[in-house]
Amino acid sequence: MGSSLNKPELIVNGKRHDGRGFDQLRPLRIEAGVVKNADGSAYLEWGDNKVLAAVYGPREAMPKHIADPSKCIVKCRYSMAPFSGIDDHGRSGPNRRSTEISKVAREAFENVILLNDYPGGMIEIFMEILQSDGGTRAAGITAASVALANAGIRMKDIVYAVSAGRIDKHIVIDVDMLEDNYSDADMPVVVAPRNNDVLLLQMDGGLSTEQFSEAMRMVLEAGKRISAEQKRALEDYYKMAKE
Amino acid sequence: MEILDTIKGTYIRSMLKEGKRQDLRALDQFRDIKLRAGVIEHAEGSAQADVGDTRVVVGIKMMPDEAMPDTPDQGNLITNAELLQLAYEDYEPGPPSPESVELARVVDRGIRAANCIDLASLVLEDKKVWSIFIDIYVLNYGGNLFDASYLAAMAALLSAKVPHYSDGAADHRRRDTSLKINGIVASTTFGKIDGRLLLDMDLNEERIADTRLTIATDGESIRAMQKGLSGAVTIGEAEQMIGESLVQHKRLKSIIERAAKE
Amino acid sequence: MRKIVFPGESLQIARRSSCTYNDGKGVCSSAVGLFDEERASLLPLEGPWQPRIDETVVGTITDCKNYVYTVNLSYYCRALIIGSRYGRQSDFEIGSAVEAKIKDIEDRTVLILSYPRALPGGILVRVKPAKVHRIIGKEDTMVRQVENLTGTRLVVGANGVIWIKGQQDGIKAAIKAISLIEENAHRQGLTEQVKVILEKEARPYTRNREQREGE
Repeated sequence: MGSSLNKPELIVNGKRHDGRGFDQLRPLRIEAGVVKNADGSAYLEWGDNKVLAAVYGPREAMPKHIADPSKCIVKCRYSMAPFSGIDDHGRSGPNRRSTEISKVAREAFENVILLNDYPGGMIEIFMEILQSDGGTRAAGITAASVALANAGIRMKDIVYAVSAGRIDKHIVIDVDMLEDNYSDADMPVVVAPRNNDVLLLQMDGGLSTEQFSEAMRMVLEAGKRISAEQKRALEDYYKMAKE
Repeated sequence: MEILDTIKGTYIRSMLKEGKRQDLRALDQFRDIKLRAGVIEHAEGSAQADVGDTRVVVGIKMMPDEAMPDTPDQGNLITNAELLQLAYEDYEPGPPSPESVELARVVDRGIRAANCIDLASLVLEDKKVWSIFIDIYVLNYGGNLFDASYLAAMAALLSAKVPHYSDGAADHRRRDTSLKINGIVASTTFGKIDGRLLLDMDLNEERIADTRLTIATDGESIRAMQKGLSGAVTIGEAEQMIGESLVQHKRLKSIIERAAKE
Repeated sequence: MRKIVFPGESLQIARRSSCTYNDGKGVCSSAVGLFDEERASLLPLEGPWQPRIDETVVGTITDCKNYVYTVNLSYYCRALIIGSRYGRQSDFEIGSAVEAKIKDIEDRTVLILSYPRALPGGILVRVKPAKVHRIIGKEDTMVRQVENLTGTRLVVGANGVIWIKGQQDGIKAAIKAISLIEENAHRQGLTEQVKVILEKEARPYTRNREQREGE
């Protein structure tokens, strides 16, 4: 949360600083099957976010002692390119933030992947944030989910992710970098659309019970549009393969 | 579809014996090159190079910094390469591999030696200079990372815009001037398999190559060279590859200039 | 009527078929695939191989200890051939290509192979396992056609590894045909299309083959 002293006007005439409505997503476009070497992949542009996700596996679990004869191991890595931010040059390599995001993303994916179908194996999921503008974990997970489907990994659902936030008394969807810096609450969520199970939930700032419920309702509504784009990307990929 | 490792070597070798390559290219022919600048708007400069199946993105960032004690009158150039795990099944996590360090250093060396960037012009005020970060991101490994990285790095530099600087801070949202670039260096990398020289090896060829030689030139002089792998080259072969490299530079330079202009 | 379905999509069928799961409320797809409503069958468009007993596989021998041969099937599970009698065959050594049948799957993670046969010479290529059924074709029609038109011999493993033997030009044509089938696997009328392309491309190889057979 930024200091309130130099807080910019985030809401003007009932619109957000970039002209969006409270429940409006930034433009979202996904392309499946973009990394040739990977078993599955996706490239996503969401507002100014640019994300490349790829999946390898199932392959032999390495190191060998982590292999589980009853189910598949899932590894997940979220990382940010040093040139991804508009301001300073970032440091590459894992840090505490990316380690945490990788962990909660992995747990969300473990819920939907049919782990028992690949005993002794390992699935690796990579999310590279090439350009960041707020909501990168949501962008990464939404892209990785398409990459998993593109790899043909058996799973119960194609999950999506989006973050909700609060600016003063308004709940908004798909918080961008500027809003994230000054908002009163930020809540990234991952949902399995088949039954609306919540698979990732993080929050910081402050929300009332009513505001939480409203945010979740808006997440599910926005999720329909995200899911539709995920499926369109996959459908397009197979159409292209057809021609 | 992929030809499997163990038996593929013999297949490639048997074709090479007749002077042929699997993908029907001539021995001194590049794969298709696609170069696009400005792919990462947040960076000061950027470019994506596709050379066959190899895909590399280079991002340039600039930050006001302390001058290095031994070069107080010039800016800093820091080049780094990441062989992303998602780019190839055998790439591993952890500290930079020898391969990624070599890639970064060879690209850095050519750009520095050719004075592509006028480092002396990067002094901001007393002891304060620009640091230029060249980050090479390998997104898909399909052989010959060196040439792809040079192409992307040069197109990124050539299209880079310098942030506005005042009161000791950079405003990255105001980028008013182009980065001054003096010359264009491009590299050509040859492999040697069973005594035959071949330009721009793909993944399959690279995995069975005996030797590799990267030559970076600015069109007139050789600016950097790096031999890799444990095989040898003769002096005659080196001369032949240098000659070819100088010829190739013309075309590579125009590809870089065209990409940076668009 | 075939339509594309996605993981999590509920399928109006009573019992589970391949690439589906039951979440308690009904059967859902677990893959991106083409769903045939009349036959109630789901054809995945992508996905790793899931080995079954009696399937034919192709791989290379990577290790041999105490007459236990380890075979690399380009798959994450170990695959073993057990037996001393193979050691006497000269083609049966580390690096050789072999075909075999899956006899048993132990602990769900180790494939035990039987009826191994060495595949001397030739090259191995790997395709997506989900496309293997099209490369084989109905009652082997596709694979036989590629063999005939290119003058090669093919052994297609369910694991996605294919052994090709023949003249260099024939191999090249066969690889081209296999890539074409792999990339267009969910199209109909593929057999005819491959035939047209190979007949145009591969005439010299078939002629070679006829000549050889005539000799």
